[in-house]
Amino acid sequence: MPVVELSYSRLQKLIGKVSKKQISETLPFLGLDIESEDKDLVRVEYSPNRPDYSTDFGIALGLQGLLGIKTGSLKIKIKKSKEYKINVKSNVTKIRPFVTGIIAKNGKIDDKIIKQFMTMQEDLHFGIGRKRKKSSIGIHDLDKICFPLSYTATNRNYKFVPLNSNKESTISDILNNTEVGQEYGNILGNSSQVPIIIDSNDKTVSFPPIVNAAVTTVTTKTKNLFVEVTGINKEDAEDMLSIVATILYYAGFDLTSTNISGAKNSSPKLESRKVSVNPQLINASLGLELNNAKIVSSLKKSRIDASIKGKNIVCNIPPYRFDIFGPMDIVEEVALGYGIENLAPLLSPSETMGTIHPISSQLKSLSLVMIGLGYLEGLNSSLTSKKILYEMTNRESSKPIAVLNSKSQEHTILRDSILPGILENLSRNIHESYPQKLFETGTIFLKNNPIDEKTNFAAVCAHQDANFTEIKSILQAALKTGFNLEIESKTSTHETFEKGRVASVLVNGKTIGIIGEISSKTIENYKIRVPVVAFEISLSGLIFD
Amino acid sequence: MSQVFHEIEKKIISVLKIESELTPEKLGNLTQLSPDQIRRGIEWLKHKDLAIVNESKSVNFQLAKNGLESLQNGLPERRLLDLIKKNPMEISELQKQLGPIFGPAMGLAKKNNWVESIENKISLKNYPSSIPGEKTLQQIGHDSIPEPNIDKDDLASLLKRPAFLIENIVKNKEISLTKDAQNLDFTKSDSGAIDVEAKVPEVNVARTHPLKDTIDEIREIFVTLGFAEILGNMTQSSFWNFDALFTPQDHPARELQDTFYLDGISAKKIGTKEQIQNVSKYHKKDWRYHWDINEARKMVLRTHTTCVTIKHLAEKKPDEARVFSLGRVFRNEKVSYKHLVEFNQIEGVVVGANANLRNLMGIQREFYRRIGITKIKFWPTFFPYTEPSLQTMVFNERLGKWVELFGMGIFRPEVTKPLGITKPVLAWGGGIERIAMLKYGLDDVREFYNNNLGWLRSTTKCQ
Repeated sequence: MPVVELSYSRLQKLIGKVSKKQISETLPFLGLDIESEDKDLVRVEYSPNRPDYSTDFGIALGLQGLLGIKTGSLKIKIKKSKEYKINVKSNVTKIRPFVTGIIAKNGKIDDKIIKQFMTMQEDLHFGIGRKRKKSSIGIHDLDKICFPLSYTATNRNYKFVPLNSNKESTISDILNNTEVGQEYGNILGNSSQVPIIIDSNDKTVSFPPIVNAAVTTVTTKTKNLFVEVTGINKEDAEDMLSIVATILYYAGFDLTSTNISGAKNSSPKLESRKVSVNPQLINASLGLELNNAKIVSSLKKSRIDASIKGKNIVCNIPPYRFDIFGPMDIVEEVALGYGIENLAPLLSPSETMGTIHPISSQLKSLSLVMIGLGYLEGLNSSLTSKKILYEMTNRESSKPIAVLNSKSQEHTILRDSILPGILENLSRNIHESYPQKLFETGTIFLKNNPIDEKTNFAAVCAHQDANFTEIKSILQAALKTGFNLEIESKTSTHETFEKGRVASVLVNGKTIGIIGEISSKTIENYKIRVPVVAFEISLSGLIFD
Repeated sequence: MSQVFHEIEKKIISVLKIESELTPEKLGNLTQLSPDQIRRGIEWLKHKDLAIVNESKSVNFQLAKNGLESLQNGLPERRLLDLIKKNPMEISELQKQLGPIFGPAMGLAKKNNWVESIENKISLKNYPSSIPGEKTLQQIGHDSIPEPNIDKDDLASLLKRPAFLIENIVKNKEISLTKDAQNLDFTKSDSGAIDVEAKVPEVNVARTHPLKDTIDEIREIFVTLGFAEILGNMTQSSFWNFDALFTPQDHPARELQDTFYLDGISAKKIGTKEQIQNVSKYHKKDWRYHWDINEARKMVLRTHTTCVTIKHLAEKKPDEARVFSLGRVFRNEKVSYKHLVEFNQIEGVVVGANANLRNLMGIQREFYRRIGITKIKFWPTFFPYTEPSLQTMVFNERLGKWVELFGMGIFRPEVTKPLGITKPVLAWGGGIERIAMLKYGLDDVREFYNNNLGWLRSTTKCQ
């Protein structure tokens, strides 16, 4: 989850009359988890579905609502103008077809605001931009650019001075030799052509979605901004633009529209949309009996304008709230505006009978039998390593089921047997007193169109006099007492067990597992100093399906 | 005090009645008991105030390097005197023959007026019959001799010399009886009685795993709240783990770095034609991307048990139901004291025409009350498949702060509609290890899977 750093004093300035305590108590009710606090600074985690919370401006907007200082939608005024034209050339259609943008003038820019914009940009790129693939954003110093602009394609030998550099580089250079180029270059694939934004003096503005030109860099001296968003579909690009436009407007900039022409592109409207909700749905979902006026005022606290039309409540959803899909999202907005702390938990009687799954109860009974026999229950991960599963126990690793890109070397393949895990447990406990007796029941995994999951049962017994007879007596007693099953054992071989001291376990003539003395090689591998006897059987097919 | 005595105690007392102030070694010889039995017996008797153990220290001396050398060749000054006994000798010649000991030897000889130097020659004035230190040197020889046995002054002269003596500190124990013990008469007491007050050996208990105990406790609570348990596979297609739960295919949570994908394994059949069509339709419409069935076929280790409940609901389409699923889930994380790659989760749903958010909160509150947590509150949060979504915060008394436990919400229509579920579905879920950590006061979640016998054998079962 993304994190944004806020300053209480800055928030107080943005919100109006409010105490630090009120802010910190209200933040969680916007869905913002406080990660850490240090005097004036507070770091909060926000949900990726609310990119408007990527700056303190967006959070101040929300807090004003919940605190009742300013409610209802923020109405963004955008001045219409023909002055700022972007012509889209048909050659970008196949690469990154859509561009949109907005002009923001007469704002105050200081270091703190630049920092907020930068984290916003990063979070937007990562989240709704899907690592810049779906959409990406560039913020420029308007006064360094001459309109009209062209959004066009160019080849990889094209040169310009990219951001944070003072010399010209070719597109190929940027893609191969810079960090951003290496990270995002794959979005452009192998095409010889790449997108570029050029101004009327043929100066480069931006090379989306990779890097801006150095000349348009925003500094504390910048007064006016040009924001462009490019993307692979128009709606996503406009969604991203709506976030930035809202933030800039709230930060005190005057907005002016851009004029976009060219294949399937159009000038952004950034208009609110209407979602109609039946108040009954709201009350039924929340378990409340709110009248329409209360619903409307709750929505306003969530910064959504709403009005009563006939039986329904019609909401005006501002463009930056594209996380709202339909009526159930409005239900949540009402709940937040009403205040989650005001919703009283209510325990309603159950209409249904509770039941434990038969497999769970049988496994529980089996574990009680094993405890009666003096065995301690162990628990191991299903996701384990080749070393534990095969190498240490001398088992053949035929076709393990592996997971991709595990961050932990000890967790790379799914177990096809429980025994190696509890043998490894013994090796970690050689300093503890003996006898050591452990059992485990759990799931094992086998490849079979695509995967079979079976429940196995294994036990180990380690002490100076441990022997085959002892462990067979235990298994015999467990299955007899647990399930009234009689076992037989037939001479067999198994890599983990000592030759001549291992047998297949059979019930009603069907092989269900293996039992015997663990081979001296495995015991040595694990540096265990006493004999170990063990068994593992499959319960699937024996006790349950 | 117990008046019952162990055989060991009886033997020790009988011997000490005859001869007092015995060392453990002597006691062992006289009682025919092993050193360990003697040690235990003395401890017991001391504990019962029947034996007194006098501990004292003494010093033994042994010869060190220079001492041993002098034992063989004589003290340096003796060697000097012997060389000039017959005729005076030149200094240079003496230096040659005596080497580094010439200096100290000369010093002592001059000081004691045994020699005189004339020009470059040293000649004898007196030849002493004994020199301080020689007696002790011979007395110690190759042995170790207690300090009191050695002549004090003679010893002192050797102690001044470097590397002549090694001082060994020896601890001595002498055991004697208290008055009470001396008056004991074993012929009268305890026929057939045993010491019922004595400490006994520890035995190791066999038990269910503490985490399993918590799992069982939680399972039972939900069963008594009217919920039926359902089980499902840990390996699931992405379709049920993600797509059916309205999580778009390009969502960051679906990336390799968060989710375990099974290498090269895809499911052929993931759902009914209708289910696949409906689910993909909502994805295309609301998330605006190209939905790929091959992505949905990819097998993953379930990241939550919600895939089990949604599959169940899609199959049964109940109008009224309370079910829960409990089992292991997986996240591709770095293992640490607070993160495991594999942990247990419980996830439950209530389906009903009148099911609402306050009911959901009520069930949570009741659940927490039953596991002994009363300080709770609810905060809004976000999950892709529920709306509204809440999380429970519980107050951890030990850490003195609010910690997040179960998440919950009402399944989005984008989840229920495509699967033909018509009634509202309340869902909640969360990790069990976190609750177990609170219960057992653990700070490291890995302890649950270490199978450390010391911990398993000692953790209190009934908490």
